Amino acid sequence: MADPLLKITNLHAEVAEDGTEILRGVDLEMEAGKIHAIMGPNGSGKSTLSKVISGHPVYEVTDGDILFRGESIIDMEPDERARAGVFLAFQYPVEVPGVSIANFMRTALSAKRGEEVDVFDFHDELVEKMEMLGMEPVFAERSVNDGFSGGEKKRNEILQLAMLEPVLAVMDETDSGLDIDALQVVSAGINKIREQNSDMAVLLITHYQRMLNYIEPDVVHVMVGGRIVRSGGPELAHELEAKGYDWVKNEAGAEAELARI
Amino acid sequence: MADTLTTSSDTGVFTRDQVEMLSARKGEPEWLRQHRLEAYDRFAAAPMPTMREETWRYTDLGSALSFDAYEFAAETKPVTAIRDLPAVLVDEIEHADDYSGRMVQVDGSVVLRELSDELREKGVVFTSLDVAVQEHPELVRQYLGTALRPEEGEVSADTKFGDLNTAFASGGTFVYIPKGVRVEAPLRVWRTITRPGVAVFPRTVIVAEEEAEVSVVDQMVSADAEGGAFCAASTEIIGEELARVNYIPVQRWGNGTIHLSTDRVIARRDARVTSLHVTLGGALSRVDAQCRMEGPGSHVDLLGLYLAEGKQHIDHETLQDHLSPHAASNLLFKGALMDEGHGVFRGMIRVAPGAQRTNAYQTNRNLLLSNSARADSLPNLEIGADDVRCSHAATVGQLDKEEMFYLMSRGIPKEEATRLVVFGFFGEVLEQLELEGVRKDMYGLVERKLLRNRR
Repeated sequence: MADPLLKITNLHAEVAEDGTEILRGVDLEMEAGKIHAIMGPNGSGKSTLSKVISGHPVYEVTDGDILFRGESIIDMEPDERARAGVFLAFQYPVEVPGVSIANFMRTALSAKRGEEVDVFDFHDELVEKMEMLGMEPVFAERSVNDGFSGGEKKRNEILQLAMLEPVLAVMDETDSGLDIDALQVVSAGINKIREQNSDMAVLLITHYQRMLNYIEPDVVHVMVGGRIVRSGGPELAHELEAKGYDWVKNEAGAEAELARI
Repeated sequence: MADTLTTSSDTGVFTRDQVEMLSARKGEPEWLRQHRLEAYDRFAAAPMPTMREETWRYTDLGSALSFDAYEFAAETKPVTAIRDLPAVLVDEIEHADDYSGRMVQVDGSVVLRELSDELREKGVVFTSLDVAVQEHPELVRQYLGTALRPEEGEVSADTKFGDLNTAFASGGTFVYIPKGVRVEAPLRVWRTITRPGVAVFPRTVIVAEEEAEVSVVDQMVSADAEGGAFCAASTEIIGEELARVNYIPVQRWGNGTIHLSTDRVIARRDARVTSLHVTLGGALSRVDAQCRMEGPGSHVDLLGLYLAEGKQHIDHETLQDHLSPHAASNLLFKGALMDEGHGVFRGMIRVAPGAQRTNAYQTNRNLLLSNSARADSLPNLEIGADDVRCSHAATVGQLDKEEMFYLMSRGIPKEEATRLVVFGFFGEVLEQLELEGVRKDMYGLVERKLLRNRR
């Protein structure tokens, strides 16, 4: 078997400022082109995992490692990780007043490719991706996320995903705050991007099973108390939906319980 | 007034005799000589500002400025070709294609001035103040000193440098737009100082008659040099009924230079005046900008953008003076401070008792880009009418960590992410400017300074 695309071993991470430990030994392996879902109750550390993979400075890795394409990325800056092919779709996309989506994306693409992207080529590419996602071209001239609705923010994340063509897309609760129509649009967008880029692996972080109706995972993991306590096929998501998180919490046993107390 | 008001230690080389010599050399009419001498006497009688005064609390001019350290600029001969201008200007002037007229001042003299025949025939005046005194003496006499008025008997540290400019004004710019004439592309002015130790006193007077329209871009550029120069500038803008004036002074003096500017706007009935003060250069810069809403329906936008690096000190003192009802003023000054840069903003909205239905806003925002940078912001209101809408806001903040992480998570390196955030920050100011070409130039200047600082 080839090397996994992403290999996380015994990952421990804490909030740098106050030393609160959140990840307590995460192990995870993903191959290129696969879809993994991480589900878990609030406070289980699943969003933190997505930020630690992307290199958010608020968190400090205290033990373990993250190998991306066989190389450790834990000492890399967020921008280096992104250029290596890691993308994080934010649960709460950040507003950047005064910076247009077009300018933002052209700067990002230029950084990724290591040369200034031609304005006209870029524009064609952007319009094409926006059409694919059912977005109006005027959207590109708006300031990034500034005054956007929840649905617009999430769609903007998907547009960036489409433009940057990462190797690994980490989707942090992309479904949160979306009604069912918006969820369908966003999910369809992700599926279209996968059609064009079948090697892209997706790590879907979600609290609910509903997004998995539109994007079918190959593997489902359950995270509780800062570690993955159970992994299985897509049926695991349905089981969770039916039985609730208390079921895995109990199954996770005394160790996880103790850790949370 | 008596000569005995002055002593050489207070005024250095800036003596009353020098005013007499300057006026005589320029062959000026008696009224102007008197005007200069009166201003000189007020200058000499006014104390040097100290940090004990409220308006100078954060700006230590006394330690930075010594009148003995400077000499007067020599008169310079006119040039006919752009390439004969000082090197620091040549490229920039050759590449500026969007203008209705251009003028270049080197040290104390205007050496080049151009205006299309078409505008000249319409009665537009765009020339140096020195030449205007000779060619249009009545116009100059009518308007010089109307917006920057001598406040008789009330000399203070705050009036000192406007008076100093009046006393020694040389070169300068006089713009007169007759009734109903619209000047589409901006009038462009460049000023430079050729060597350290020189003192310059540019005076700009812009008059837009009823329904006239004009934009003036005033670039002050000099090369970095040991020692630095001294500029005491002043601008008067008079917008008559329904006039439309844009004025964009861009201070890019070399490091070490001290820049003090006293700028005054009068907006008459339904006039609309926009100024954008861009401050990038110099060691210590202080702009004292005031606008007077003198007619109902007048509207003045005071915009400002400043970017400090090294130990640059950039001070703005503003007054939005509402004297008439139904007028509006909107101030937005934004500054980004790198290294040990220090920004100071002190603003005042003053609404006279009769100025009902005033809309006046004042916002100053500062972005600290290093831990050693500093900004002090003091907005103020003084409202004498009861039916008004006024507000003020001031913020001093650092780069937002989440914003930076977001940009970097898309592969954008830290410095470039910072540049984007600073651009976005200044965008709120620059997008208010109607002049697209000038806006692009300003983004370019900001970018150049940010890139230079990174090295």
